[in-house]
Amino acid sequence: MTDATEKVRRWPVLLREPLVHFIAASLLVFAGWHYVSGARANEQRTIRVTTGDLERLASIYAAESGALPSGEDMVAMVNDYVRDEVLAREARRLKLDEGDTIVTRRLAQKMTFMVADLAKETVPDDETLHEWYEAHADRFTDPQMVTFEHAFFSEDVRGTAAESDAEAALAALNAGADWQKTGDPFMLQRTYGDLPIREAVRLFGPDFTEALAATPASGSWTGPVRSALGIHLIRVSANTPPHLKPFDQAREEVLADWKDETRREANEQAIQDIISRYRIEVEGINGN
Amino acid sequence: MLKQATALAVIFALAACGGSSSKSGETETHKTDAATETGRTAGYNPDRNAYFGDLHIHTRSSFDAYIFNVRRTADDAYRFALGETIQHPSGFDMTIAGGPLDFYTVTDHSEYLGILPAMDTPGTKLSELPRAKDMFSTEPEKIQAAFQGVGLSVRTGKPIEDMYDLDTINSVWMDNVAAADKYYQPGKFTTFAAYEYTSVTSPDENGGFGGGNLHRNVFFKGKAPVRAFSSLDSTNPEDLWDWMDTQREAGMEVISIPHNSNVSDGQMFRLETYTGEPLDSAYAEQRMRNEPLVEVTQVKGTSETHPDLSPNDEWANFEIYDQLLGSNVVGAVKGSYVREAYRNGLKLQEENGFDPFHFGLVAASDSHVAGGAYSEADYWSKIGIVDGTPVARGSVPFPGTTGWDDQPMDNPIVANAKNWFSRWSASGLTGVWAEENTREAIFDAFRRKETFATTGPRMKVRFFGGFGFDENMLGAADLAHQAYEGGVPMGGDLVGTGEAPAFIAWAQRDPNGNTLQRLQVVKVTSEGEEVIDVACDNGTPDPSTKRCTDNGASVDLSSCTPNNQGASELKVLWRDPDFDPARRATYYVRVLENPSCRWSTWEAMRNGTPPRPDVPETIQERAYTSPIWYIPGG
Repeated sequence: MTDATEKVRRWPVLLREPLVHFIAASLLVFAGWHYVSGARANEQRTIRVTTGDLERLASIYAAESGALPSGEDMVAMVNDYVRDEVLAREARRLKLDEGDTIVTRRLAQKMTFMVADLAKETVPDDETLHEWYEAHADRFTDPQMVTFEHAFFSEDVRGTAAESDAEAALAALNAGADWQKTGDPFMLQRTYGDLPIREAVRLFGPDFTEALAATPASGSWTGPVRSALGIHLIRVSANTPPHLKPFDQAREEVLADWKDETRREANEQAIQDIISRYRIEVEGINGN
Repeated sequence: MLKQATALAVIFALAACGGSSSKSGETETHKTDAATETGRTAGYNPDRNAYFGDLHIHTRSSFDAYIFNVRRTADDAYRFALGETIQHPSGFDMTIAGGPLDFYTVTDHSEYLGILPAMDTPGTKLSELPRAKDMFSTEPEKIQAAFQGVGLSVRTGKPIEDMYDLDTINSVWMDNVAAADKYYQPGKFTTFAAYEYTSVTSPDENGGFGGGNLHRNVFFKGKAPVRAFSSLDSTNPEDLWDWMDTQREAGMEVISIPHNSNVSDGQMFRLETYTGEPLDSAYAEQRMRNEPLVEVTQVKGTSETHPDLSPNDEWANFEIYDQLLGSNVVGAVKGSYVREAYRNGLKLQEENGFDPFHFGLVAASDSHVAGGAYSEADYWSKIGIVDGTPVARGSVPFPGTTGWDDQPMDNPIVANAKNWFSRWSASGLTGVWAEENTREAIFDAFRRKETFATTGPRMKVRFFGGFGFDENMLGAADLAHQAYEGGVPMGGDLVGTGEAPAFIAWAQRDPNGNTLQRLQVVKVTSEGEEVIDVACDNGTPDPSTKRCTDNGASVDLSSCTPNNQGASELKVLWRDPDFDPARRATYYVRVLENPSCRWSTWEAMRNGTPPRPDVPETIQERAYTSPIWYIPGG
């Protein structure tokens, strides 16, 4: 009895001992650490297959085979899934993902995919679109087109006389001579309707095209004009200058163009923003 | 996670769509129908216009192009043809010389179509193959071994099972068909669903390089099937023709165009079947039903004729390339060239009553970088990073060397440049005479063989044969109309009446190119051949030599400027002085430009180094028409 009393009485004394304090504190720290690290290890060694994962596996199976998976199929798929997950985690633990081009590229792709199209798609107001239309007018412009007839005087046939022959024929044509019977045969067409200027360059060469483009529509024959092929007299009946489509007519095109470019710019900007958070060192340029 | 799941869902939805569309059996080409309904397009000409195009273009979906670092798509290819600038895998810009083309065709290899891009896309099953890891590793030996394995499979026709993913192949084929449909603008720009069938002759048993090139491009007039027959189905082109016959019977009109007979090791026009049987009339009929045309010139050389076959043709030694594909083996000459095939065809016709070589001529680039290099002055060859620089092409000396005498021949870049790339050409384009720029009109011209081939420039050439032709027609404003009424154009059969025919040959220079020097008729009979100058830029040919006199044209090599006047047009009515009404004869026209710098000289000039000594400094660009075949009447 006395012993017991003695023991009870000694407790408060012990509680006041600094050594005991130290041991108790150490034990607490140790226990706490043990508890926390144990839980972390448990978490690291847990593969959790969620209902969501199961549904996804099932839908992939359904899409590939056209039928719902049986119980057996599900077990097999979950086993495969677990296998992949475990191996991937082990690989990461051993840092096998580092320095692997395919992994790096896949991650970069995922990141690009993640940042893409994050910018809110805004609907531009008419003013914005108008500005866009004006700033990029060339994209909404129909090319200059010329409707014309021509008489051809071959230098291969007539030599240096081709030009004077053409000059002589000019007056006759304007006095009403039959243009179809004037000059030499021409391999391509004698009449062109709404020929885009770019097309004329391909058919006659640049010099003729320049002269043709500068000839106003009229009822009369003009020339001679030299092409890469010979000498021509021309009668231009329509010369439509490059024609900016009216805004209302081009609106859809403008909108599509604006959206396209805005999206592309926003995506590139997002990536540039991420890059700007890094310091880039290139050995030999700004590195060591 | 949500995003990834969505992406997966989209991928599977797409895969599901691919599956269901293959059940429909064929694709629709609505635009074609629309064009027919609305009638003729702008520019319709009953006497036919000349249209220019390239029928042979590869993109990233071709197994070899992807390895050459090509990442441009079919969309990019069509945009290039329409005049937009696209990028070469080596990083520089490519813009088409001479302005947009009228027609253009993506012809990716059907073998492993789209498989390499899929192998290089992380997340795909194909990317997990060990071969994929090797193919896209950083070790050249592994890349080479993996790539050669694929090449071997294409040559032997034995699929690599884990790579031969038909779902991917068929879906990329449908993408290419869709791209062709998307860019087709009747009246403005024509495309066709097309691909390349990539077979070579009997490889040796060790799987080493086996032989000659039997490649063909396959073109569908409108609708295309959901699957493209490849050398993995059969390496025998006769099996391809069987398949094409079946497609045609199912309403999908189709032709195939062989190319690079020059590197076929004598096999393209061999006088036996693929399996070594004698030719017969059924073979000839099937071949002509399916192959009315042959590609006569492209980057990898010109297949018209060879100096050994045509010793009396001073222009036969033109851009000859005879090393079998990817090797340093020189192929057989006989059986590899078009002019000899015409002659053998006539011989077979006279002796056995059939002619398997009654074909017309076209040209193409065979570019593997989505855009063809047709201009000597702006050349980028065709296989991406492999020949993307003047050094790789051997037009300028290897860095660190002092001249052409001390090239390090053991360096593979120098050796490949010497054996292969320095001898390739800035060629070629197909010209077509058609009423309008639509799939129907252009394909019909293919069938009529009313086509001509150029080595790059857009010179135009007409060729007619008839019995009532006379000199007055040459001055008539409606010459072409009269010629169509009273004769046959290039590609046609001229059936004898007992009279001697006359021919009208008419060429017009490329308005953005060089001037013309001479117009020639090449006459072929079962007994021989003859090259006859029929019009010259400097007067008439000497009747005793049948040659134009030297016009003195030259090129200033320091600036690549031609020093000559030259002709803008050459036009003649020609009668064959040795005409024999009882004997078959094949006539075609060859148009020669005045000389101009070869691409290698342009590159040397820009680099300030002398031109490579073992290739010509200048060339004469040219055009070849499809023949007119004279057939004795009665």
